[in-house]
Amino acid sequence: MNTVGIRAKNIGKTISDPPTRILSEITLEINNGEFVALTGKSGAGKSTLLYILSSLDDPSEGSVEIGGQNITAMTSDELYRFRNQNMGFVFQFHYLIAELTSLENVLMPAMKFHEEKKLLSRAEMLLEQFGLKDRKHRHPRQLSGGEQQRLAIARSLIMKPKYLFADEPTGSLDTTNAETVMNILEDCSRKDGMTVVMVTHDTDFANRAQRQIHLADGKLIP
Amino acid sequence: MIFLAIRYLLERRRQTILTLLGVFFGTMAYVTVSGFFMGFQGFLVQQLVNNSAQIHIQARQDYLSDHQLDEAFFGKKNQHIFWQPSPSGVQGYLEVQNPQSWYTRLRADPRVEAFSPLMTAPALFTLSKLSVSANLIGCDPKEQAKVTSIAEYMVEGRFTDIAAGGNRLILGDELMKRLGAAIDQTILVSVGTNSPVPFKIVGRFYIGNRGGDLQAYGAINDIQRINRTPNRVNEIAVRLKDYTLAAQMASSWSMIAPERTESWDQQNANIFSVFKIQNALRFSMIATILVVAGFGIYNVLNMTVNQKRQDIAILRALGYDTFDIVTLFFSQGLLLGIVGAFFGLIGGYFLCRYLQTLPFSSPMVKGGGHLQISIDAAIYIQATAIALFSASIASILPAHAAGKLTPIDIIRQGG
Repeated sequence: MNTVGIRAKNIGKTISDPPTRILSEITLEINNGEFVALTGKSGAGKSTLLYILSSLDDPSEGSVEIGGQNITAMTSDELYRFRNQNMGFVFQFHYLIAELTSLENVLMPAMKFHEEKKLLSRAEMLLEQFGLKDRKHRHPRQLSGGEQQRLAIARSLIMKPKYLFADEPTGSLDTTNAETVMNILEDCSRKDGMTVVMVTHDTDFANRAQRQIHLADGKLIP
Repeated sequence: MIFLAIRYLLERRRQTILTLLGVFFGTMAYVTVSGFFMGFQGFLVQQLVNNSAQIHIQARQDYLSDHQLDEAFFGKKNQHIFWQPSPSGVQGYLEVQNPQSWYTRLRADPRVEAFSPLMTAPALFTLSKLSVSANLIGCDPKEQAKVTSIAEYMVEGRFTDIAAGGNRLILGDELMKRLGAAIDQTILVSVGTNSPVPFKIVGRFYIGNRGGDLQAYGAINDIQRINRTPNRVNEIAVRLKDYTLAAQMASSWSMIAPERTESWDQQNANIFSVFKIQNALRFSMIATILVVAGFGIYNVLNMTVNQKRQDIAILRALGYDTFDIVTLFFSQGLLLGIVGAFFGLIGGYFLCRYLQTLPFSSPMVKGGGHLQISIDAAIYIQATAIALFSASIASILPAHAAGKLTPIDIIRQGG
C-alpha cells in the first residue's frame, strides 16, 4: 500500500516586485518512493513549486507536509536539520564548491553534523557507483560537465535522503550525460525507494517518471 | 566551517597574503612604536625615580591670598578686607617644623627604604671675579646616596668626601664650568646676606641635565652653619621600596603634618602630560594603520561573499544555517587577523630586539648604552587585541550580509 510522502495543501505564491501570482491553489500528494515529473512551459511555476515542496522557498499560503511533518510550520533550526537529514537536491547547475575535492564535496552535507568519518565509506562507494572513483581527489574544475553533475548527485545522496528534488538536472548536459543522470534518478526511485520530484522541460525524460504533474499559469492541469 | 574558510583563504593566495601583510605591518608597527615609546618613558621614569627623591617633605610656604589675613584683622567675625593691590609674599615656615617626629615616622614605616634630611639654600658661588648663583644642598652623603643615585654620577672624587665636613663641596659640572673652577680650588660661598665663606672643591658630578648640574653638595652641618640655621632642615628626601606608592603616601602624609609633601610624579607632572600626548599619538597612528588593514579585510570578504553566492546557496540547501554561513565568512576575517597579528608580534619582537642593540649615548647612562625598547607583555596583548578587534569589526558586516542571503534568491538569480 502506498503512503503519502509529500502533501501540499492549497499552495499559493505571490511575489511583490512586481506583484505577480505565481502559484494558485496547488493541492497534490506524492507517494513515498514515487518518481514524479513536474512539467509545463517556462513560467508555469514548476521550479517555484519544487522549491516550496522542498522547503527552499516559503508559500504565500497553504502548507506542505513531508513524511507527515508540516515543514511550513517548522522553525528554521528544525528545518535546516530536517533538510540535511531527509532531502537531497540536484540543480541544473552543479553548485559544487570549487575549493574542495570531489570526495570533500560529497561529504559536505555530512560535515554539518560532523558525520563525515562515519559516511566516508559511503561517499567512496557513491563515487565508485557514479564512475568517479579515480576522480575523488580532483577539484570540480578538473572534471567534465557530466562528471560534475554526477558528483552533485552523489553529494545529494550521501545522507541517504528519503526525498530527492531535481530542478532541470539534465538541462546543461549533452545527451549521453543526460541519459546517465536520468538512469541514476530512476535507480534512486526504483532501487532505493527514494521519492524523486523532478522539474523538466524534456518530454522524453518526463515520460520516464511514474507520474507527470502538469502546470500552466501557476495552476495544476488535471 | 573553519575548514572551508581556510580552503577559501588558501585558494585566494594573493589576496590573502596582501590582507595578511596589512595586519602584519599594523601589528608590527604597534609593537615597535609602543616598545620605543614605552621604553623611552620607562627609561625617563627610572631616571626620575633614581636621580631624585621619590617623596619630598618640604617646609610649607604658600603665597598670600586676598582673604588670608582677614582673621588677623577681624577675628572670627566673618568680615573681609579688600586689598588694593592684592597682598604679595609667602606665608609659612622656612624649615621643617618638627623633623624628629618625621624621622621617627619614617623609620617606623616599612614602606620607606631610606631618607635623607637636607638643608638647601640658594647661594652665590664666587671664584676670583666670577660669581654664579646656584642651589646649595646640605646633606649626609651616606644617607643621600641611599635616596638618590647622585653618587653614581661622580666624575671626580667620591660623594662621601664631603662627609668629614670642614667646608668641602662637590660641584655639578655646569657650575664648575661657569666658575672655571677645578678640583682642590677654594671658592667663596655666600648664603643670603651672610658673609662669604671659603669652601674647597673636592669632587665633581655630571648628571646630564643643566639644572641638575648647576648644584653643589656639602655636608649638612656646614650648610646649616653658614645659613645660621643649626640643627634645622628644610627638606627630607625619602626613597621608597615601591616607588609607585609615592603619590598615595605623599597625599596621606600631607594630612598629618604642616609640611608640603610631594611625590616624584607630582613634581614631574609636566613630563607625564607629555607621556599622555605621546601615547595618544601612538594610539591614533596605529589605529589608522589597523583601520586601513581592517578595510583590506572588509574589501576581500565583501568580494568573497559576492563570488561565493553559489556556495552559500548550496550550503543552505544542504542544511547549513545562518550561523554556519556567518561563521564561514567571519572566521576568514578572524583568521586573517590572528595569523597577521601572530606574525606581526613575532616581527615586532625581533625588530625591538634589534633596536635594543643600537647604541644610544646619554650622559644619564653610565658607560654608554643602547636604545631603551620595552618588550612588556602588555604591548603584545594590546597589539593582539587591537588586531583582532579590527579584523572582527571588518568581518562582521560582510559575514552578516552573507548570512542574510537565502538559497532561493541566489538560485533564481542564477548564482
